Amino acid sequence: MSYVDAGYAVALGTMLVYAVSLVLRRRRWERALKMSEPVAEPDGAPVRGELS
Amino acid sequence: MTGQLIVPRRPRWLDVVGVLGIVALGFTVWLGLWITPPDVVQGNLARLLYIHPAIATVALYWAGGVAAGGSLLYLWPRTRSFFWDRLAASAVEVGAVFSALTLVTGSLWGRPVWGVWWTWDARLTSTALLLILEIGYLALRRVPADLDVRAKRCAVAALLVAVDVPIVHFSVDWWNTLHQGGTILDPGFDLHVHGIMLWTMGLSFVAFTLVFVWLLGVRYQVEVLQDAVGDQELEVSLSERWSEDAELVGVGGGPASDGGGDAP
Repeated sequence: MSYVDAGYAVALGTMLVYAVSLVLRRRRWERALKMSEPVAEPDGAPVRGELS
Repeated sequence: MTGQLIVPRRPRWLDVVGVLGIVALGFTVWLGLWITPPDVVQGNLARLLYIHPAIATVALYWAGGVAAGGSLLYLWPRTRSFFWDRLAASAVEVGAVFSALTLVTGSLWGRPVWGVWWTWDARLTSTALLLILEIGYLALRRVPADLDVRAKRCAVAALLVAVDVPIVHFSVDWWNTLHQGGTILDPGFDLHVHGIMLWTMGLSFVAFTLVFVWLLGVRYQVEVLQDAVGDQELEVSLSERWSEDAELVGVGGGPASDGGGDAP
């Protein structure tokens, strides 16, 4: 492999890996947000609006 | 102070930018590796110059500019918004990737042309310092703190990172360096590159800029989601705590109102 091939492979490969990792991170946090959404509050318990 | 819980939808334009970036990058690689002729002096090694200056431009000016601008706008009370803080943080992370690639692609070009992988040249050293400062910023960002405290702390850190940007830029003028001066334009704005080589280089700047915008957009969405999850978890734990407190008051309130029945 020449220096030129190595340069292109490293640059494009790194960007591809980083882009895929970002998409996966976004998906993971979207799922985490969905999971952390509070379920319906029981009677008498404070509602979300009162806390913020 | 907490961040807004508004999670933006994925904007369509970002997908368009991503597709355009991939197409432009594909054309750059095609032109750079197969269509452009070898350089008279450097031969095929000049093909690395179709990616290295563009990557360095993104790392230094685009990422550095967004990080510094976003941090300034956050610190300025009139424009203070978590949007700027999150944008700056996203730019620093994407910029760190591009800074690392700048060093690696430069090193791969320097080994056959200069005869060394690395030298303590002012341009190389200041670029390495930029990467170290960016990593420091990202480490600081992970220190647990209130969102506003974290944002202010990181904004100051980003401005410290930005101090290195003009040093990198002018390093080839201020010191005698092994690294050459202007690759495309010299200080007199005379072009050093012509024809298909110039077009390929120009396209590479467009391609890497589009890729940068896409990466920045997705990274920003991750930042918003992270903060939103943090806020949700805080609210849920507060809610649980309030429920527990309400139950305790309900249970303990009875005897207390009877005059402390459990007391001996």
